[in-house]
Amino acid sequence: MTVKRARDLAFSGIVLIAAAIWIFPLYWALTTSLRSENRIVSDAGVIIDELNFSAYLSVLSNSKLPMWYFNSVGTSLIITVIVLVTGMMCAYALSQLRFPGCKLLYLVVVASFMVPVPALYVAQFVLMSDLNLVNTWWGIILPQLIVPVVVIVYKQFFDAIPREMREAVLLDGGGEFTLLFKLYLPLNWGITAALAIITFISAWNNFFWPFLIATSENMMTIPVGITQVNDSFGVAYARMMALALLAAAPVIIGYLVFQKRVTEAVMISAGVKG
Amino acid sequence: MKDAGVHLRGIKKSFGAIDVIRGVDMDIQRGQFAVFVGPSGCGKSTLLRMIAGLEDTSDGQIAIGDRDVTHEDPADRGVAMVFQSYALYPHLSVYENMAFSLRLAKRPKAEVDEKVREAAGILQLVEHLDKKPAQLSGGQRQRVAIGRAIVRAPEVFLFDEPLSNLDAELRVQMRLELARLHKALGATMIYVTHDQVEAMTLADTIFVLQGGYVQQSGAPLDLYDDPSNRFVAGFIGSPSMNFLDATVSGHGDNGVTATLTGQPDISFDIPLVDKPAHGARIALGMRPEHLQVTEGQGLRVTVDVAEELGGVSYQHGTLDGGEPVIFQQTGARHGMHGTIQTVTPDPGRIFVFDAEGDRIR
Repeated sequence: MTVKRARDLAFSGIVLIAAAIWIFPLYWALTTSLRSENRIVSDAGVIIDELNFSAYLSVLSNSKLPMWYFNSVGTSLIITVIVLVTGMMCAYALSQLRFPGCKLLYLVVVASFMVPVPALYVAQFVLMSDLNLVNTWWGIILPQLIVPVVVIVYKQFFDAIPREMREAVLLDGGGEFTLLFKLYLPLNWGITAALAIITFISAWNNFFWPFLIATSENMMTIPVGITQVNDSFGVAYARMMALALLAAAPVIIGYLVFQKRVTEAVMISAGVKG
Repeated sequence: MKDAGVHLRGIKKSFGAIDVIRGVDMDIQRGQFAVFVGPSGCGKSTLLRMIAGLEDTSDGQIAIGDRDVTHEDPADRGVAMVFQSYALYPHLSVYENMAFSLRLAKRPKAEVDEKVREAAGILQLVEHLDKKPAQLSGGQRQRVAIGRAIVRAPEVFLFDEPLSNLDAELRVQMRLELARLHKALGATMIYVTHDQVEAMTLADTIFVLQGGYVQQSGAPLDLYDDPSNRFVAGFIGSPSMNFLDATVSGHGDNGVTATLTGQPDISFDIPLVDKPAHGARIALGMRPEHLQVTEGQGLRVTVDVAEELGGVSYQHGTLDGGEPVIFQQTGARHGMHGTIQTVTPDPGRIFVFDAEGDRIR
């Protein structure tokens, strides 16, 4: 056995151990969701020796899961579309148009990175309350539309497009909208897909803001809904885990389908965020 | 196809405090192939971009035909431009690249198809219409860029150093294709290059630019035979004209005697009407093909590099005074490398420039 092969095997072993550590909570959630509530409290084992689907049946029949799904899908999609369209247009203006205050505006966008989102919750809640948007989709959506990383990533990619290509479109009779939607956007479908995926996933996984703003069960998103499955005897672990797995399912499936794009997106945004 | 002349009056362009174009007047007649030539930074590309509308004009007027287009948008000027980098849209096929402007203008589908196929036929691109630019060679990409201009049927074609990204062989081939295209279309074309061979072979009229001014304009051979100043004389012609510094050492009935600064024992009797004062510093210009190898009296040249091109050879050497000199020999295989030769200029073909660089003969 060569040294290189030994090194490869050792590396693979380390990666496998790390992967096992990362996947264990998910696996434990699965085993827990397949046990009866009574058994979980007495025996928190990790071997799947019981296939009890009562937690799933209970969650599907007694909770407002379909409504929470609908709210999650609806709000996440709207957030994704608006964030991408506005972010792209803002980035285009900052990258390609020359107007007074252009550089200052870009600095403001970059500086907004430095404001931790939780610091804004109180002000945002008061604002939503004043606008009568508590317990509405727009109440959930509006504060989540501020995503400076989308603007910054798009701007970097737009900056890289050669000036002559832009001038060719101008000579061909195109204006700014033609430039954006027929040149800059098609040349950046890859990054658009990547940004769409991370924006959707982060909106889907967002817990705290929807938890604050959606107090009515009908307006809750799935992560908030998970908190609603306790019964009068306390925490219902099996049901909670079943619901958590059902909530994560679309994201996990989405990740498996778009694995390459998600990795790309995470790397790009990590690069921007440093 | 429509075409029209281009007329510039008092054109100026400044970037901040830097004046790039300092007052240019020119008339390019309809159907002419005009070439802007000059060294890097002379303002030739800026001038072309101003005609295209891609740069604002600081002062002056640009007219295409009888229309003042100085402040019109690029798309409304009736010009099409071919860029050095081709600037093809990489996400679109060759067909879509060529159809782009027509589709933006919402032309009927049948008309778009007809025009694209016609242009593709002229440029031998028919079998490449479905390919993406990345699948094409440099020459093919350049042809697509030209096709994109042709379908718009512009009044004026603008070319910004379109051949500089191609290899030498392809450049010669594309140069011929451009000349044929100009004959076939008969449109007004303006072409920017720093390569004076391209300028000489393509142009009806050359505009030599330097320092933001047009130094001279005219037919290629007129500029070659009759340059108005030292810059034009040195820029037009390959290899460049030899310049030897000299001093007026005597006046005769029909001219002056000029003595070389580097070699006081060598002087030439040069016919001149407007004679500079005795002692005036002048420069003598001699084209490489006007220096003959002779026996006996003349300029002694130590040949250090011999470029043997087959039909002709260029002998690069230095005079005894240290000035570099190139002379041309027809035929090759002279084996002059490392030898000392004596060359004599044809006195009737010596150009004379005054201290400011203006030609006085």
